Amino acid sequence: MSGDSVPWALPLSRFGNSDREATTLFRELRKPLLRYLVCLGLSSDEAQDVAQDAFLNLHRHLSAGGSQENIRSWLFRVAHNQARNRQTSYDRRFSTPLNVGHASESILDETTPERVLLEKEKYQRLGNAMRMLSDVERDCLLLRASGLRYREIGEVLGIATSTVADVVERAVKKLAEKCNV
Amino acid sequence: MCEYSGRLIAWLDRELGDQEATNVEWHVGQCAECQCAVNAYQQVSGAFLLCYEATMTVKKARNRPLWALGGVAAAAAILAAFLLTPPRTEKLAVHLPSPPHAPPMAFELPPAPVARVRSLRRPDPVPVRSQWIAIEPTVEVALPADALFPPGAVPAGFSFIADFRP
Repeated sequence: MSGDSVPWALPLSRFGNSDREATTLFRELRKPLLRYLVCLGLSSDEAQDVAQDAFLNLHRHLSAGGSQENIRSWLFRVAHNQARNRQTSYDRRFSTPLNVGHASESILDETTPERVLLEKEKYQRLGNAMRMLSDVERDCLLLRASGLRYREIGEVLGIATSTVADVVERAVKKLAEKCNV
Repeated sequence: MCEYSGRLIAWLDRELGDQEATNVEWHVGQCAECQCAVNAYQQVSGAFLLCYEATMTVKKARNRPLWALGGVAAAAAILAAFLLTPPRTEKLAVHLPSPPHAPPMAFELPPAPVARVRSLRRPDPVPVRSQWIAIEPTVEVALPADALFPPGAVPAGFSFIADFRP
C-alpha cells in the first residue's frame, strides 16, 4: 500500500518501531474500525473522531512499550468503549440499521424482477430481525463481520470466548428463523 | 434436534479445533438436517455481511442529501446577490455653522470675506497689508560729515541727522 493513502503518514525511516507498527495497523484496521463504529450507531464524523482517538491511544500504548499481543482486539475495545460513552442512550443504536435496501439493490441488478422482489423481502426481514437482537448479540455479529475471532470478540466485549460462541449461535439462529431461510 | 447443531456456526466460523472440526464436517456430510441448517446459516451470515459492508457507502451518501444541496445553492445565491448589489447611499447636505466674527483689533484690517472652498485644495493665503504710520521725530540734530569722518571720506554736502525718538 502506498503512503499516499494515509495523509499524515511520514516516511517510515523517520520513526521508531512503535510508530511503524502504529502506521501499519492504521492502514490495516482503519476502515474496518470505522465501519464497525458506524454500525454501532455513530455518525460518520463521530466515527472518525472515535477512530482517531483510538489510534492515538494505540500509538501511546506502543510508544510506552505496551504489549503488542491481541492488538486488534485492544484497538476495537478502546473504540467500542469510547463509542459507548458517546452514546447517551442505546436507543440510538441501529436507529439507522444496516441498510438492507442498498445492499439488496447492489447485488440484484442482473436478476429477474421476481427474484429481486423476493430478495428484497428477504433483506427487509433481515433488517427487522436485526432490530430484535439484543445489544450483545448485535455487537458480536458486527465484530464477527469485522473479521474478529471469537477470542477477540470476547476481549472487546469483556466476555468469555465460550459465551461469544453461544451468543453468535443464538443470534444467527434468530436471524435465520426470522428470515425464513 | 441433532447433537451437532450447536456447533455448526462455530464450525462455519472455523472456531473449532482440528479434531472437532473434522468430526462436524463428517457429520454434516451425513446429516440432511444439519446440511439444511448450514445452508441457512451461510445465507444469513452472507446477507448480514453484505449489509454490513454496504453500510459505510450508504452513510456517506446520506451525508449529502439533495435537499441539502438545494439549500446550499439557494443560500449561495442570496449571499451573492447581497454582496454584488451596490449599497444605497444618500448624500446628506452638511451645514457648517459660520464662525463667529472676532472683534476688530488695532492696526488690523477687517477680515476679508472668505470664499467658500468646495474643493480640497488649500486656499490661497490672504495677503496681509501692514499699515505704516509716519511719526514726526521730536528732536533732530544735523551733524556735518566733515565733523565725523576725515576729509575726502564722504562727498561734500552730506550731513547726518540724529533722530532722538522717544
